[in-house]
Amino acid sequence: MWISVGSVAERSKALDLGSSLSGGLGLVSVLIVFVWLGGNQVSPLRPICDLRVLDHFVREARDSEVIMRGCRGGCGVLKSYFVPLTRVDFAVWEHIDVQSQAVEVQTGLSLLVQALSRAKITVSNSPLASTLDNNISNIHSLGQILHSLDLQQARSTVLPDDSAPASSQMQEVSSLPELLQVQSSFLRGKVRLLLSAAPACQRQNS
Amino acid sequence: MDSELQSDWIGSQCLRLSVRGKSFERKVAQLLQDKTEDLKCFVEGKKDLTCFWEVEEERNLHDRYTFMYSYENEKKMACVVSSLSLRASNKTVLFCKLPQALFFTPLNVQVFRYGQILYNRIFNVENVLLLDPPSNLTVMSSGKEGQLNVSWLPPPLKHMDDSMIYEVRYAVEGSHMGKVEKVKASTTLVLRGLQSDTRYEVCVRVKLDGVAYDGYWSSWTDPVFAVTAPTDMDPLIVLLVLFIGLILCLLSLTLILSHHKFLLKKLWPDIPTPEHKFPGLFTVYKGDFKEWMSQNNGSMWGRSVHVYTEELPSTVEVLSEVSLTNYSTSPREGRKPAEKEEGSERTDSALMGGWREPPHAQWLMEQLRALQENPESFSQSTLLQSHDTYVALNQNSQRVQGDTEKQVDDVFEETLPLQTFFTTTGTSSLSASHSDLGSLPQSSGSGRLSSQCSFEYPNHTWPPKGPGYAYMAVADSGVSMDYSPMSSSSIAELGKRGIYTNEYKNEIFAHKWPFSCQHIESGY
Repeated sequence: MWISVGSVAERSKALDLGSSLSGGLGLVSVLIVFVWLGGNQVSPLRPICDLRVLDHFVREARDSEVIMRGCRGGCGVLKSYFVPLTRVDFAVWEHIDVQSQAVEVQTGLSLLVQALSRAKITVSNSPLASTLDNNISNIHSLGQILHSLDLQQARSTVLPDDSAPASSQMQEVSSLPELLQVQSSFLRGKVRLLLSAAPACQRQNS
Repeated sequence: MDSELQSDWIGSQCLRLSVRGKSFERKVAQLLQDKTEDLKCFVEGKKDLTCFWEVEEERNLHDRYTFMYSYENEKKMACVVSSLSLRASNKTVLFCKLPQALFFTPLNVQVFRYGQILYNRIFNVENVLLLDPPSNLTVMSSGKEGQLNVSWLPPPLKHMDDSMIYEVRYAVEGSHMGKVEKVKASTTLVLRGLQSDTRYEVCVRVKLDGVAYDGYWSSWTDPVFAVTAPTDMDPLIVLLVLFIGLILCLLSLTLILSHHKFLLKKLWPDIPTPEHKFPGLFTVYKGDFKEWMSQNNGSMWGRSVHVYTEELPSTVEVLSEVSLTNYSTSPREGRKPAEKEEGSERTDSALMGGWREPPHAQWLMEQLRALQENPESFSQSTLLQSHDTYVALNQNSQRVQGDTEKQVDDVFEETLPLQTFFTTTGTSSLSASHSDLGSLPQSSGSGRLSSQCSFEYPNHTWPPKGPGYAYMAVADSGVSMDYSPMSSSSIAELGKRGIYTNEYKNEIFAHKWPFSCQHIESGY
């Protein structure tokens, strides 16, 4: 009996393996095809010109500030973060071309992502941690949006930790609340101005 | 930061600030009402950042106050302080127009008074936007009932116009009730549910939505007036109403026509005529009742008498007020004139021969004669007024004399002097017209008296040709008295018919009453 069962089990096992292998191979092949297609071809994404998406991100960044203000314990440690400059002088900004604006925005976003990720490690407060997660994913989405607008220029520039913020486009903050404030201002300011002035969207409107 | 100014809407009118002229002054005056900050700052667009505060002193202001500002990570800078007098509110403000307006970065402003810090404030410039009101406000009737198309132009601020929200206020011109509509991301609005053919005033104001930019409500635009379209009857409704009205008319018409006879009867009833009761009276005899009567003896009066007999219950007794003493004397008086007449003898003899004359019968006859001669006076004096006339038929008294003497006596005591008697068939020598009367009682009377009585006048026809007499057959139903006028010619018939009824009645009352019937003569 044992032998028979065992043999049956072995046979079933073999059968299972075989079927699973074949299924897996098929799936993998399909995936490979897709990736190849996706990799080779530059699929033009539809431009996302609706600013309500960004407004949503702005509100979530504001929520982080609110949670930060109400956080009591486990709210991160004092650390220096390199963050973009957020100030906008309209007289100056409007004279900068869009591509330069895009570079500035992309650099700033990558800086923010890095800072937020570093800050999140030190945070043990769960609401704050989750909202920081939100912010990080939002910034990633913004990158996608910019990509859809053909404004994705310099990708994430990883700064060495010891280098000083020589770039005029950077500033240093020393606490998480300040970091969040910067994030909020950056999204509302430069990112928004860029998106509203994106040529892809202008072509649509006109 | 997100403070909102009180609306300057008073009543229902888009009230402009009394401060005219520069928009800057208007904005300062408007912001003065904001109580959230002592040091008020606003930016009018992408530049022109101003901070001001209210002061009371008027002299040497510039010496006392110092204004310092600094953006993040930058050094402090001073700003030139200027003064402004507001004519409308009679207030003085000191203000500083900052040379550089940087958005999306914190700004720190400080006011020093005699070197001492008075006000200190940190804010982001993009959160204190106070814009000019919208321009080019146009209000037009859309053509549809109760609708107005409103459109305007936003303040010319690039990159910010997608963050603007608006308030549209509209009201009937002159009324105090206004409504507000909020508009987002659009510079047009259709007002619905308005009164038709009414003049409305509309005004608009603008503010940033608070997501990327924030600020205060702008002042209201100058009001724009427009008249809504007048009500026009929806042709479909008019058509439906007409159609339904038509259907209702047709229905009512059909109803009326189908029941027109009934309706006619109800609304315009026929005047009832007694023709059906008198067959042939109007058609054959042309209204000659006598002729018709003579021809239609049987059928008609059977009915009428039947009717009459229903009303004839029994005897009627009319008592006289004349006392017995008078009663005894009057016949004597009556006798004398009676003797003068020819017929009186005959009458007397007839009376004598016929039966046992009642003691005052003579007087009775005299009375009758007097009545004939002078009916009016008689009637006035004696007959009706004093109820002297009394016709009592007392045939029973003859027969049952022996038995009911007492009754008879009683009757005589009660009865009036005037008594009629009942002629037998034997006395047909009396006036011819009374022959019918004469024939009345005996044939049927198997000892029964008929209640029919008649006056008997020897010389005079009955009815007299002079003044007509209306004979009233008095029928006593036992409870009430019925007086029904009849013509003289009908008396004969009555007499005949009366027999039956009276017989009937007699049977009932015979043992009680001596049968008496009365004719009350009324001359006229």
